[in-house]
Amino acid sequence: MSGDLNPQTWLDEYGDYLYSYAFLKVKDRHVAEDLVQETLLAAITAKENFTNRSSVRTWLTSILKHKVVDHFRRQGRVVSLSELIDQDNEDNLDYLFKTNGSWIEKPEPFPDPESTFQQKQFWNIFQQCLTGLKPRQAEVFLAKEIHGMSSDEICKQFSITPSNVWVLMHRARLSLIKCLKALWIDNGK
Amino acid sequence: MLNCRQASLLASRTMDEKLPFWKNLSLKIHLLLCRSCQNFSKQLDFLRKISRQTRANPDFQLTDEAKRRIAATLSDKQTSD
Repeated sequence: MSGDLNPQTWLDEYGDYLYSYAFLKVKDRHVAEDLVQETLLAAITAKENFTNRSSVRTWLTSILKHKVVDHFRRQGRVVSLSELIDQDNEDNLDYLFKTNGSWIEKPEPFPDPESTFQQKQFWNIFQQCLTGLKPRQAEVFLAKEIHGMSSDEICKQFSITPSNVWVLMHRARLSLIKCLKALWIDNGK
Repeated sequence: MLNCRQASLLASRTMDEKLPFWKNLSLKIHLLLCRSCQNFSKQLDFLRKISRQTRANPDFQLTDEAKRRIAATLSDKQTSD
């Protein structure tokens, strides 16, 4: 893994991941690009502090989180680091199921967005829904479903067990489905 | 017999890892009998499909221009160190 510590490769390997992570938090392309740059610059300076206990991706992501907090602070918004990494414990799923475990509202399949206009609208809504996820769910969903990281890699990066992964993913999926239904399906009716 | 709440968790979990044999079997049986959970599975497939497409969405990628700019800044930094 020592070749991993070559900063030249970081941008190619982790740039898009860091960028999409930042974009979900700050929702601005230019700010997100700047945060990626600041993160990599800080990482080069702090290279000596990197220990092999975490992966390079995890390490870079944790630097980025601090950069995001700094950014919000500069804007006068107080956001704590814990707000960005919340451990989201028990989510209450009671709003979806009756006490006997059956669906309160029966799921219906989603139609594919058809026209280009609809697609554009759809992407905006999907981004909005991703942004609305709890931070930890959003991170794991982004890493797994959008960037295609393996469950193994995710367990290492987030220091969680395989069962944490599928529980988090299940909650993320339920939230996204609920959000898409509200903003994409019901809103279009 | 699984209820829908339990089945929905398994339907999601099976997208992340191979289910143990009996859990998989009970999910399959539930899905055969339950239209709502079949639809939920379709929603999960939809979500996976659009997430995979999202990777190629420009909003989730650095532009080439941004990459070049950042790469230049990084190499300046490294030569100055």
